Amino acid sequence: MNLEELEKSVNLMEDIQEIENLQRIYAYYFDLQMWEDIIDLFSDDAESVEIVDHGLFLGKEGVKKMYWGWIGKGIRSANQPWIQFIITQIGGVVDISPDGKTAWGRWQTWLCEAKPFGAFPKQEWLHGYYENKYVKENGKWLFSKLHWNNTFCSPFEDGWLKTPLMGLMNYHPTVKPDAPPTAFYPYPSGYHLPYHYNHPITEK
Amino acid sequence: MMNLEDLEKQVIRMEDIQEIENLQRRYGYYFDTRNFQAIVDMFSDSADSADLESFGLFRGKEGIRRLYLDDIGRGGRPRYPSESWISTVIFQIGGVVNLDPSGVAARGRWQTWLAETFLYGGVPRQYWVHGYYENEYVKERGKWFFKKLFWNVTFFTMFETGWLTQPLVGLLPMANPDGPPTAFYPYPSGYQFPYHYNHPITGE
Repeated sequence: MNLEELEKSVNLMEDIQEIENLQRIYAYYFDLQMWEDIIDLFSDDAESVEIVDHGLFLGKEGVKKMYWGWIGKGIRSANQPWIQFIITQIGGVVDISPDGKTAWGRWQTWLCEAKPFGAFPKQEWLHGYYENKYVKENGKWLFSKLHWNNTFCSPFEDGWLKTPLMGLMNYHPTVKPDAPPTAFYPYPSGYHLPYHYNHPITEK
Repeated sequence: MMNLEDLEKQVIRMEDIQEIENLQRRYGYYFDTRNFQAIVDMFSDSADSADLESFGLFRGKEGIRRLYLDDIGRGGRPRYPSESWISTVIFQIGGVVNLDPSGVAARGRWQTWLAETFLYGGVPRQYWVHGYYENEYVKERGKWFFKKLFWNVTFFTMFETGWLTQPLVGLLPMANPDGPPTAFYPYPSGYQFPYHYNHPITGE
């Protein structure tokens, strides 16, 4: 390799490293319910965010509506300490575009949560896959699109076979999505969230 | 374009992060296989401390030996006539590792998901455990070591009951700590375990 090629390779590895950190730090902010810090991880030109069956939210405005308005309930920090999010970020496959300005990542998550459902406090197992898009602006990587596709949301006591979905979570009295969810097909639908990459060997 | 010296610095930085990630993951595998001498050998001779769960604070390399070899490892003496059913499975998830500009010190946040089996109150039980690490690493003679290990437990619940119903099965105090645990506030305290990094975009 000449120096220029070497620099490209090094930059590519650093980019992947930075995106992995971005994704993991996102989860730590989520666990700590730091919604404003999450919003700041998104580009001002963000495309969209979509989580479980909340619907599709467009643009940075949509990002704010989702995290601050819906999930964060417009509250800076948790006023009910028993409400718990634990989001593990597992198995990242990150691919950078040839121009080095955009990237895609697939991840999976295992969650153990506690939150009110209806009138009752519930503890839940959740699983899901991400297919996210990232963009590099001013030398830093940001989320440009976040899609978390939920496989199941099951009560701790039941499990996914017995109760794959505790119930729908697609209603909010004031916060409305720009469009319905694009792909909410929980277990046991057999749905597979498409992946962004080609086969590493056959390239199909 | 970067010169060779800059490039070398970047490559070393990435190799350092890789090595620290392996150190942390190997720690998990050594714990699973109850190889506590191997764990002690991963700590610097000038290590600060180890603070795990409700075990208490153990200072210096001498304290770390006491913790892993004498207390957790029971000086190699079996706890029960048959130990094969006792198991610890520790996942090391979501490492965010940041190097100090000096290149010889680093910090890392991780989270863990555990499936354990051991005797509690005279009964064999199976558990789910979750926690976060904020660890410090040091590079000595070209190798990375633990300088400080801090594992902050979120919950320690039984397989059958879950974190909402029973966040803590009980305390696990060790025989010879140097002090009480510095921050043992399990669920549902709402405790926000501090993280070592600044926001990747806003820098705050």
